Amino acid sequence: MAHPTLPSDDELIPRLLANDETSYAQVVAAYHGLMVHLARAIVGEAIADEVAQEAWVAVLRALPKFERRSSLKTWILRIVSNTAKSRLRHESRTVSLDESLEESPIIDPARLKPNAHWASPPAMWHADTPDALLASAELRCCISDALATLPPLQRAAVTLRDMQGLSMEAICKILEVSESNGRVLLHRARSRIQMAIEEHEGQ
Amino acid sequence: MPSCKDITEHSSDYLDHNLPWWKRMGYWLHLAMCVHCRRYLDQLKLTIDTIGKSPDATTPNVSPEEIQAIVEKMKQSTKKQE
Ligand SMILES: [Zn+2]
Repeated sequence: MAHPTLPSDDELIPRLLANDETSYAQVVAAYHGLMVHLARAIVGEAIADEVAQEAWVAVLRALPKFERRSSLKTWILRIVSNTAKSRLRHESRTVSLDESLEESPIIDPARLKPNAHWASPPAMWHADTPDALLASAELRCCISDALATLPPLQRAAVTLRDMQGLSMEAICKILEVSESNGRVLLHRARSRIQMAIEEHEGQ
Repeated sequence: MPSCKDITEHSSDYLDHNLPWWKRMGYWLHLAMCVHCRRYLDQLKLTIDTIGKSPDATTPNVSPEEIQAIVEKMKQSTKKQE
């Protein structure tokens, strides 16, 4: 989980608490890109960098009270997620962060028979590898658009799991959701992207 | 035995090895008989790999100048506290 070029949390945390500038630079170099990536998923590109910077100040402020119940990386990302969420609530009161829990089905019910088996099953895709799919500029665009229209927490889940390769356990701590809700968020996000690819490929 | 709808609802859990054994057995049995769900699952796998390789998956780049600017900000914030 930890970054390859970073000292262990045990070495790093006391140095950060002692305001060691070299250690500051090390953690920022190791984690800032990832923090911006997560912030982007929740609040969008325009203010993601600002949110990540704000999170660093919050990290330093909270560090003396860090209880080590997770890795430093997970804990820092949780602060990013919380900073981003409160920004989002502040800026657009109408956006619901909990859209994940809405009961919309994974598959359009019109595609299923009354006995819950396929009536209109998935069609073959033209391409059968990621590279072949992504070779199409049009499809790259479809995927990007589908990602952009996901609810914030679904986008965060898919970013951390399928783009950054974090464990589900860490992701649920970072987003402050239960294990089962975290899995629902991830699966809904993946399914929406799958449907976007299918619309393009399955004809 | 799960329906096709059940298969689609929990397919991420199946791929991530997060189903209890009895549900996993149900999956195997269904998949052995249902070509549509086999395709659905293959396409989900392909979707996950494609997300990981898409341009959106690239971690944003951080320049040495940006790192330095953030470190300065951090130093100032701790000075204010003292
Ligand atoms: Zn089926």
